[in-house]
Amino acid sequence: MRAILAKPWVWSFFAAGGVWLVTIMFTGGASTLGLSQAALTFAAFSIIVGLGQMFVITLGPGNVDLSIPATMTLAGTAALKVMDTSDGMVLAGIAVALAVGITIGVFNYALIKLLRIPPIIATLSSSFIVQSAAIWYNRGIRIKPPDVLSQFATASTFGVPNVAIVALVISALAWVILEKGIYGRWVSAIGQNMRAARLAGVPVDGTRFATYVLCAVLAALAGFLLSCFSGGAALNMGAEYLLTSIAVVVIGGTAVAGGFANVPGIWGASLFLFLVVSMLNTYGASAGVRMLFTGVIIIGVVVAASRKPAA
Amino acid sequence: MNKALVLSVLTVALFSTTALAETSGKRIALSNNYAGNSWRQAMLTSWDTVTKPAVEAGTVAAADAFTTAENQATEQAAQIQNLILQGYDAIVVNAASPTALNGAVKEACDAGIIVVSFDGIVTEPCAWRIAVDFKQMGRNQLDFLAAKLPGGGNLLEIRGLAGVSVDDEIHAGIEDGLAKHPSFKVVGSVNGDWAQDVAQKAVAGILPSLPDDIVAVVTQGGDGYGAAQAFAAAGRTVPTIIMGNREDELKWWKEQKNANGYETYSVSIAPGVSTLAFWVAQQILDGADVPKELVVPLVEVTQANLEDQLAVTGAGSVTNVEYTLEDTQATIAAAK
Repeated sequence: MRAILAKPWVWSFFAAGGVWLVTIMFTGGASTLGLSQAALTFAAFSIIVGLGQMFVITLGPGNVDLSIPATMTLAGTAALKVMDTSDGMVLAGIAVALAVGITIGVFNYALIKLLRIPPIIATLSSSFIVQSAAIWYNRGIRIKPPDVLSQFATASTFGVPNVAIVALVISALAWVILEKGIYGRWVSAIGQNMRAARLAGVPVDGTRFATYVLCAVLAALAGFLLSCFSGGAALNMGAEYLLTSIAVVVIGGTAVAGGFANVPGIWGASLFLFLVVSMLNTYGASAGVRMLFTGVIIIGVVVAASRKPAA
Repeated sequence: MNKALVLSVLTVALFSTTALAETSGKRIALSNNYAGNSWRQAMLTSWDTVTKPAVEAGTVAAADAFTTAENQATEQAAQIQNLILQGYDAIVVNAASPTALNGAVKEACDAGIIVVSFDGIVTEPCAWRIAVDFKQMGRNQLDFLAAKLPGGGNLLEIRGLAGVSVDDEIHAGIEDGLAKHPSFKVVGSVNGDWAQDVAQKAVAGILPSLPDDIVAVVTQGGDGYGAAQAFAAAGRTVPTIIMGNREDELKWWKEQKNANGYETYSVSIAPGVSTLAFWVAQQILDGADVPKELVVPLVEVTQANLEDQLAVTGAGSVTNVEYTLEDTQATIAAAK
């Protein structure tokens, strides 16, 4: 029990579970299934972008990717336009979304490395370019996803939403490369001390490069899934995921200063962020009260998670 | 009364057509604070469609559009100062803030420049305002519902972006409507931020806790399609969802209408209101007597005109009306 409580991610699950319980109590349990499915569905998108952001933040102070919303928008827009509602073009659409992600990731790291721009500025400025590209490419026209994709994104398998299953598969892969693979060790080592990592023979540039590309690819994938799920891409569709992606990393117990990451916390935090809004909506809190409570609860969870266990 | 109105419209139309040449040397600029959604894109396209022929015909010398990158009042203030230095005769502005641009607008007025604000209006008294009656948008929704569902019932309200004045105004209009039709009751309220995906997420979150007898959803535009998707995903019968003239909303409505006779109502303002502002500026430069406060006409889509309105709504856009010089003169005359 003690060992479990010492894990930084366990608090986000406590918080999510508590909020879930309070919300279903409102209807005496009648909303259990509906609320759980909705939470898994919408948390899935935050989880996918959150995982990418987690790897970037783990690289150490100053590393953050602010181009996630623009990447989501461009990937969704471009993929849907290429597929043009045709079921036969699904693979091409996925390829386009991934290509968008890889290109933006490479571009971001080129700005950071070759032009020596701090990541926060580099990714912010590239997000303007990417967002403009999305506006120019499709002028905000909403093209429907192919039927097969929109059915897949909105359906459930054995009661579990398909998008949550996709998020689970990606999370499992992320967990393996973080905890078991050499790449995860390198990322953590760079975040703990970049100079020491370099002296120890860690390929610092290659690892950072791969991390920014990975983050952009995950954002592109999330944008692709979200636009299939919500019936089309919109120019402002990624906007709320900028802060969300950072919030789920922090609430999930990943160190903001870098060096220590964990995958399960992203799940707890993503479910929590969705459920807390649902809870306050359910109890009829006004928007002001809702934001106030969300802020207070987040502070509480982060404080609880960052407390060092008594020796 | 009606006859007098028609007469005055005709008179104004008659007089101003003869004075067209007066503005042929004048230059008009559009200062726009944001371009990142489909409504604003349509607004800029309409501006182009209407002003280009006007420039070619020599009605005005130039009608250039400028958009700021960051949706910041300070940036737009600097932009307006640049436009003053460039010597434009009139500046048409969709403002980032009702008050923060007042300094720059006053400078423009002092330099003898006509300033016409629309949609996002400015409070500086020297400027003209073409404002939207957002409260009326809220009241219309309840009036429609009262006629369609005389028995009343439970409502879900989707609000816009918290803290923005437009959200408060539409909400106040809905409250007015609820007071007028007390058989309706709002049992749940969420913020959809005028975006389909945000609305879908918020509705999906509250829906499991809501009673089964939701008869209608009152909205603010840009959120109806997302709400419909959330209801369908939860396996519930989709209630009467008020729409906001977005193409995806109207298309969905049309599909439902064909499939099961679905009935609803849709209201918003046309992005082409930028062209109304353009002609108002042109009329003021022309010496016409234009009241400082004008009201943008609401564009309504009903069961009867759905097909026609959908036909004039561009893919991914909002039901649009581009105003002609004559429309504008009628609006001006009506405001007198």
